[in-house]
Amino acid sequence: MLGFGGEREAVSKVGLTAADLVAARRREPAAVTRVYTAYAPALFRFFMAAVGDHHQAEDLTGTTFLSAIESLPRFRGPIEALGGWLFQIARHDLYDHRRRQSRSRIEPLDDNLNEATQVAGVVDPEELAVDRVDADRVVAAMRQLSDDQREVLLLRMAGGFTAPEVAEILGKTTGAVKALQHRGLASLARVLGLRSPEQPQERPYPSPDPGRLTSQEEEER
Amino acid sequence: MPGPKPNKLHDELDALLDGRPVELTDELAPLAEVADALRAELAAYQLDPGVADRHLERVLHGSATVVPLRARAHPNGWDLRRRVAAVVLAAALVLAPATMASAAALPGQPMYPFKRAIEELRIASVQWSPSREAVERTRVADARLDELTQLVNLRIFTQVPTAITALSKAVQEAEAAVDDATREGEPVARAASKLSAVKVAGGQVVAVVATTVANPSSLPRGTREAITAAVEQSQGVLPVPNRDTGSGAPSGSTPTPPPASPTSSPPSQPPPNSTPQTTTTEPPVTSTTLPPTTTTAPEPTSTEPTVTTGGAAGGGDGTGGDQQTTEGAAPAEPAP
Repeated sequence: MLGFGGEREAVSKVGLTAADLVAARRREPAAVTRVYTAYAPALFRFFMAAVGDHHQAEDLTGTTFLSAIESLPRFRGPIEALGGWLFQIARHDLYDHRRRQSRSRIEPLDDNLNEATQVAGVVDPEELAVDRVDADRVVAAMRQLSDDQREVLLLRMAGGFTAPEVAEILGKTTGAVKALQHRGLASLARVLGLRSPEQPQERPYPSPDPGRLTSQEEEER
Repeated sequence: MPGPKPNKLHDELDALLDGRPVELTDELAPLAEVADALRAELAAYQLDPGVADRHLERVLHGSATVVPLRARAHPNGWDLRRRVAAVVLAAALVLAPATMASAAALPGQPMYPFKRAIEELRIASVQWSPSREAVERTRVADARLDELTQLVNLRIFTQVPTAITALSKAVQEAEAAVDDATREGEPVARAASKLSAVKVAGGQVVAVVATTVANPSSLPRGTREAITAAVEQSQGVLPVPNRDTGSGAPSGSTPTPPPASPTSSPPSQPPPNSTPQTTTTEPPVTSTTLPPTTTTAPEPTSTEPTVTTGGAAGGGDGTGGDQQTTEGAAPAEPAP
């Protein structure tokens, strides 16, 4: 379970109470707004790092929040578990989004950059591309991680969850999550030149099979 | 085997990420550096407040019509039509001016918490920059002044104590933000000047409120006492115009005379010594940023807006309208 407190007077770490949850189920504007204010920024960061596009991340945030509020009457957990539940919906929405993306045509990078250049008011698309790489260096490097590692790091850093909470969301053990976050960060450090390639590792990276990596880790424990 | 065991390293890294104290070994240092860099990049992704507005509008206003999902099975054609209608409705709601509904909300109205939450989001989204935060907080203070002004003009006095307290708090927070930005060496001259204008205008409105409260027949006792307490608490923050010298406002604007109740016999505050009502400005509020709502009406008797606007005046605590005659209501009392 994500929450460890009792149901009465429980307050989540983002400051929501059980009363907020009850009121949000009834779609009382103040409570819905509090839930949104508590989680939307983290959801947006999660989506932004995952898809790398502002508009798509905004749309995904809105879609996730809308479906979460619509499904809220079916949520039976304590208020402390609400964040994890929301991010489970976010993951599903992200998978759906990626599935749709993979079916649609791949737009040439130049088109994207030209459009983004107009939005950003920059004259030179190349300049924008360089700026983006500089600004999102670490996030861009995350694309080289395995899906599991990336997801763990995003939930941890963008979602603000603890390792046990991430484990609950992903259906893994806490040990596996800790191992994944360690490997993910170690790989990022190497990619970004902060750690020499010859530094000792427990396992070679990148793992050819993220699923196998997880089970290996679980066996070890 | 050299180095710590994998599990110990995992635990130490996990503790580090949680912010718990851990000795930063050579192994951990680059990981911590990457984690910090990643956090910093992620923190730069800020949700646009306008987008947040739209999302909330979609959820809140979509609820009444879109939600009644699958009560029972319908034929496919009907289901499809209903879905199309829901999509069209949702699209229309998204395209509608999203902030309109809440922007005009006053304390006590259903959309008011929504308005305040949006403000919080806006502030949260600019807190990385002291000068932007100062500008945003000044804007919020101005919004509180606007609300107080409207409540006074609409004579919704039950909400006035809350509004005065909120204005004082917003002004204090804006002052702190301006001070912070100034210390950081960021340019906030415009925000500072706007803030002082808000303070002056706020003091004028509070003075008008205080004058109204001074008339014992104008308001129910409970409301009067609450307003008096709020006015007293705001004294250190909002400069009340000096009534003896005619004006406390530095900008040379006209002092704010008592707006109503010309037959008042103020028990606590002496009336202005010269020409109490027939002086210049009728409008109680001359906010620098907001157009005065009842500007320059020469006759003070024009201040008889109905109190029932917004449904908040006749609040549940029984301190509703100002028509309740407590003691010897004067005939000149403005009709509610």
